[in-house]
Amino acid sequence: MAATLTLRVITPESVALDEQVQSVRLPGLDGSLGILPRHAHMIAGLETGILLYTDASGRRKPLFVNGGFAEVQGGTVRVITRAGELAEEIDEERARAAEKRARERLDAVRRDNLSDADVLKAELAMRRAIMRLRARSYLD
Amino acid sequence: MAGIRELRGRIKSVGNIKQITRAMEMVATTKLRRFQDRAVASRPYAEEITALVGRLSGVLGEEVGEMPLFREGAGDKVAMLLVSSDRGLCGAYNSNAFRVLEAWVRASGLEKDQIDFFVYGRRGYQYLSKRGYNIARFIVEPPLEEIDFNNAATTTKAVIDAFLSGEYREAKILFTTFKSMVRYEPEVVPFLPISAATLAPTGRTQEEAEDEAENLSGDIILEPDAEAIFESLVPRYLETRVYSALLESLTSEYASRRFSMKNATDAASDMQAALKMVYNRKRQEGITMDLLDIVGGVEAQR
Repeated sequence: MAATLTLRVITPESVALDEQVQSVRLPGLDGSLGILPRHAHMIAGLETGILLYTDASGRRKPLFVNGGFAEVQGGTVRVITRAGELAEEIDEERARAAEKRARERLDAVRRDNLSDADVLKAELAMRRAIMRLRARSYLD
Repeated sequence: MAGIRELRGRIKSVGNIKQITRAMEMVATTKLRRFQDRAVASRPYAEEITALVGRLSGVLGEEVGEMPLFREGAGDKVAMLLVSSDRGLCGAYNSNAFRVLEAWVRASGLEKDQIDFFVYGRRGYQYLSKRGYNIARFIVEPPLEEIDFNNAATTTKAVIDAFLSGEYREAKILFTTFKSMVRYEPEVVPFLPISAATLAPTGRTQEEAEDEAENLSGDIILEPDAEAIFESLVPRYLETRVYSALLESLTSEYASRRFSMKNATDAASDMQAALKMVYNRKRQEGITMDLLDIVGGVEAQR
């Protein structure tokens, strides 16, 4: 049997995922990182985005991660993130509403010439909403 | 026959109080369990983050000591994050915390105006403002019971920003550690600057940790690089410290509340029993007297 990886997604609220997988694609800060079994020891910073993994039966599954870190060590990928949500757990309507809110806020802060920090905050909220929706759309 | 009616009233009101305290005890028990579960659930995250910080600080070596969050601030003030409760009726939970606070203030030799407080809990706010301490921020939103990780993160950021402003020498947290269902101890722990000692996994010396890190640094891939990861990792690490301090305090609060409500319920039971005894005796006395009256009356008519 081919070697497998253990993927663990750990958030402050729970261990969101603990599964044997064939491969993982992480949303790294400088672009996607593909992880296959027997990967070298690595610590990576993660972007808010979508983690894709191929489960033991060969299906590709998306997972939304809200930033964080990943450590690959000895056949285990540990993802440490503020929020890790399986696509099917994402509430589409809520995400859509959040996107709309974020868009409105972004318009408002741009219009009112607020500080960079506010713009950044709005942009991050926007990105979270979009990424959630995109993770969700993988299912269709 | 004075008192028999009053006694009946008192028995009844003690019974009412007992019902209330028993209900409060049960509420505290469920909430206690909820916070305990959350504290357990958050542990893996905190452990992973702490281990990662320890490992990376080993990789970075000396450089770590140069970073602002690892060096004592330039100011002479101290920022203190105090975790107390919103409501009373939780035994000595708050007063124990305040006692530890006063002891710490005395021992530190600081003046009142040299300490700025970040406060969780209305009780703490009332206590501090009555005694003329500086309150930099009173965190009310959301209420303590609904605390989540995001809120802990916001608070952490506020404390970090305050520390980085250079006004403070250090930042501390006063929270109540949960030792067991009946033991909870308030403690003052250092928060900022981060000392290397708090990062080293327990049971290992600093040197061992560095040795291990040196072995690792050769063949570990860091994406994008150690500094960048470390910079974003450290705030996350501090967030988990605040979050677990909050959860632990809340667990202690509810354990303390449960315990004091249980005591109150037990005391009410005892009181009810004692009152009932007196009541019955009086009632019997009354009956005996009445009987004597009747018998006496009958005797007189003969």
